[in-house]
Amino acid sequence: MQNTTIRDYVFYILFGIGMGITLSLGGLSDFEQIHKLFILQNIPLLLVFCGAIGLTMLGFCTLCRKRDIPKKTLNGGTIPGSVMFGIGWAMTGACPSIALVQLGEGKFGALLTIFGILTGVWVYRAIAAPNFRLDTGVCGE
Amino acid sequence: MSEFLPWWATSILLAFITLGFYLANNRTLGVSGSWTRIVQFKSDKDFAEAQSSLTERPKMFEDALMAATIEHFGEAEVARFLESRHQQVPRSEENRPMVEVKRIHWTVHLAFLCSLILGGLIGAAIRGDIGIQMDMGSVHADLFGEGFAYLMTLFIGGALVGFGTQLAGGCTSGHGLSGASRLVPASLVATLSFFSAAVIFSMAIHYLG
Repeated sequence: MQNTTIRDYVFYILFGIGMGITLSLGGLSDFEQIHKLFILQNIPLLLVFCGAIGLTMLGFCTLCRKRDIPKKTLNGGTIPGSVMFGIGWAMTGACPSIALVQLGEGKFGALLTIFGILTGVWVYRAIAAPNFRLDTGVCGE
Repeated sequence: MSEFLPWWATSILLAFITLGFYLANNRTLGVSGSWTRIVQFKSDKDFAEAQSSLTERPKMFEDALMAATIEHFGEAEVARFLESRHQQVPRSEENRPMVEVKRIHWTVHLAFLCSLILGGLIGAAIRGDIGIQMDMGSVHADLFGEGFAYLMTLFIGGALVGFGTQLAGGCTSGHGLSGASRLVPASLVATLSFFSAAVIFSMAIHYLG
């Protein structure tokens, strides 16, 4: 659309690569690490999440205090959707970004996870969403 | 087993990416939204058309409303009503609907997801762990089995991730990093829910399975 510029591509790609490298180097794309996190035997990885959220909070407080950033709405889908996502994450070791990072690392099983994600998103958008009538909003639009 | 970054370094990098992404793009980081846009790439055209018809031809909206009213009440009834009011509804060209939703092209989101793959490749190269691997490691095989069971675990798990993040309106990056850090109630609930679900499920298969 007319709003999209070459600048958008450049920044999205740079942040995508940076995020991919970080997730890979941090061990977040490794199933064993993630499983140990979920059975609460991987304290460093738990600290990664807490630290990242804490530092981001600090940044948002100092840098963007006066900005009005859109907030997602709490609705009937928030908890059931998150529970499904959590179980899926525990089964595959992948959240929507990590499945791609795993593929880049040469873990070809992630292709099936990615196919599963595409199927899940399509089923939701094509079949479920028109019937649920929930204002879920869209992430990162 | 290759060495990973210390936890604080990963934290700093993730916070830097989440904040930098927002400052550079004026949109909060959220990967599941990119998946949505790719799956729904055909809707981009409809969205652009709907938006331009609203901003460039605001009368179209009024005409559509009038057409629907006539269809519902009948033309004679509508004409009688307008006559009884003895007035025309004031219509000024300045009265345009304020619809301006900025939406970037879906190929930007595709480029973003592809660059995550590239990032994974570079990360593996830096760790010196590059190479094709068909399984998800011995821990995954012990928990979920091999062969058909392994393939089904990944596909069903992926489908749960896809469907669940859409239903919840976000994932680890959108709800967890961008939302929870701003103390958005929906994001805090979502983050606690998906983390607890993952912990309970993993504990169950680890200790009971």
